[in-house]
Amino acid sequence: MTRIVLVDDHALVRAGVRAELEDAFTIVGEAGSVAEAVTLIAREKPDVVVCDVHLPDGTAANVIAGCVDRGVNSVFLALSVSDAAEDVIEVIRAGARGYITKATDGPGLIDAVSRVSGGDAVFSPRLAGFVLDAFATDLPESSSDPELDRLTNREQEVMRLLARGYAYKEIARRLTISIKTVESHAGAVLRKLQLSNRNELTRWAADRRIL
Amino acid sequence: MTGALHTSRWQLPRLDRRNRWIGGVAAAIAVEIGVQPIVIRVSFVVLTTVGGWGLVLYAIAWATLAIGTPGPISPYSPVPKGASSTHRHVAVAMVVLGLVLGLLPFTSEFFRSLVWPVGFVLTGALIAWSRGQREQEGLSIVVRVVAGVVVAVGGLIAFAALQFNLLDTLIALVFGVAVVAGISVVAAPSVVRMAQDLDGERLERIRSDERARISAHLHDSVLQTLSLIQKNADDSARTVQLARQQERELRNWLYGTSPDNPHAVRLGPALEDVATRVERAQGVQIDVVAVGDTDDHEPGVLAPLLAAAGEAMTNAAVHSGVDRVDVFAERRGDTIEVFIRDTGVGFDTTTVATDRKGVAESIHARMRRAGGSAHIHSTPGEGTEVELSIRVLAAAKPFPTGEPT
Repeated sequence: MTRIVLVDDHALVRAGVRAELEDAFTIVGEAGSVAEAVTLIAREKPDVVVCDVHLPDGTAANVIAGCVDRGVNSVFLALSVSDAAEDVIEVIRAGARGYITKATDGPGLIDAVSRVSGGDAVFSPRLAGFVLDAFATDLPESSSDPELDRLTNREQEVMRLLARGYAYKEIARRLTISIKTVESHAGAVLRKLQLSNRNELTRWAADRRIL
Repeated sequence: MTGALHTSRWQLPRLDRRNRWIGGVAAAIAVEIGVQPIVIRVSFVVLTTVGGWGLVLYAIAWATLAIGTPGPISPYSPVPKGASSTHRHVAVAMVVLGLVLGLLPFTSEFFRSLVWPVGFVLTGALIAWSRGQREQEGLSIVVRVVAGVVVAVGGLIAFAALQFNLLDTLIALVFGVAVVAGISVVAAPSVVRMAQDLDGERLERIRSDERARISAHLHDSVLQTLSLIQKNADDSARTVQLARQQERELRNWLYGTSPDNPHAVRLGPALEDVATRVERAQGVQIDVVAVGDTDDHEPGVLAPLLAAAGEAMTNAAVHSGVDRVDVFAERRGDTIEVFIRDTGVGFDTTTVATDRKGVAESIHARMRRAGGSAHIHSTPGEGTEVELSIRVLAAAKPFPTGEPT
């Protein structure tokens, strides 16, 4: 069974998330700060870390960086009340495989966790909208690697449908492609978001401040 | 600051009664030349030391100049006139100097002996106290004070050296310096502390103003909502709705309107407003995502789109049977598309119930009248999606850079 660590500074939120996930997964530990989280994750080596973005002593990006330093290859799912652009971009670029907000319901949360543990990317409609917006601004001088700085037409289509609230299987049916193909498009977009060299992504997020 | 004052042709100053110390002569001249009134006032004092000529000139000006207000002048906002404020001040100083030299022969011996000391001290004080129109303009405060002291002290020494003998002057100077140094050493710590306290106080005031602003907002919004939630704790639907509403409002307050253009109409926040209204009325959750948003939309163009979108949201809330609606808006080039989607019961678009048809017609008709279009896709058991599309002005520029492709 998938082993999970919860990181959130509010005990109440941890309890709520635990209640949602307990039946489907094994919760092996909880942490309330970056320092606690890194120690716990290094010890437990869970499959998935469900991590709040803002912690008292840092952000989810610090947790991810700390775990990467210790050679832990757990998968991170960011769970936050904030969907401000700069928060999203920071965590995703640090290496999180998905970003969902605390408004997500129980089944949605379980689905997201199993998806990232299977190696897929998880996009909330807002994150998809953010990606579209960020990659839409066409700034050629930034293209150290043009392949990474652009979305293919198909990827744009997939993002657009995700932003419209479609689930992966609905997208597959609508575009008449297999669900695996949809997943690989989403994975490719996430990789571009993480690897793309564009400073504009961060600047864009800071400029816009909202999604 | 009126147009009349900006005309390049020189006109006689008019006495400004609102901004006067005695007769308003100095203020009037200051406004006309574009310097601070204090400069002119000091000039008159200087001239008065030259055999009282300042008083004579002042009296003549007071008697001859017309009374009137040339425009809404704020007390210390000199009208910019061509040259920089430094140039204007130099010009005033030259005129005063010229008058002093010109009038000297017509004064008594006693006044003549006073001219130089008083003139030097006043000039030095003028330099030290003068302020540029803005802080960046002109000399920095330190340079000005040092220059003022040098002019005043240097002038006095030179004068004294000429009047009396050099040795006496030097001894007096050493005493003077010793006294000033002694006072400085004693007073310096408290002066420095005072300056620091002043800075700290100003910072603290800014902080506490900001804190007051935030807490006022939180009180009006968040605390009110929290107490409402406590009262409605049994009614979970109402609680959720209140919390949603508050979240949206707070989010908008934190990240919403662009500070550069508070009157801008942006598609995302406008749709959020509509969504909030529908949420409040129908008790569903509506998530709005906007892409390629700009802040240059004409309210008139957006109105039919927003109305149709609101109608579609209400439909989804009432008929779909689910409590969650996704709204996605995208601006690409000069076209705005809005998708309103639910994953509810759906319906067969070919055999539409009459009530739904009516609403659909109103969405269709509204969009058509505005030059846009609406399409409704629905499959029984899988949900409904309403697709709205409208063209906006091609000249409009997306926010903040580039064009969505």
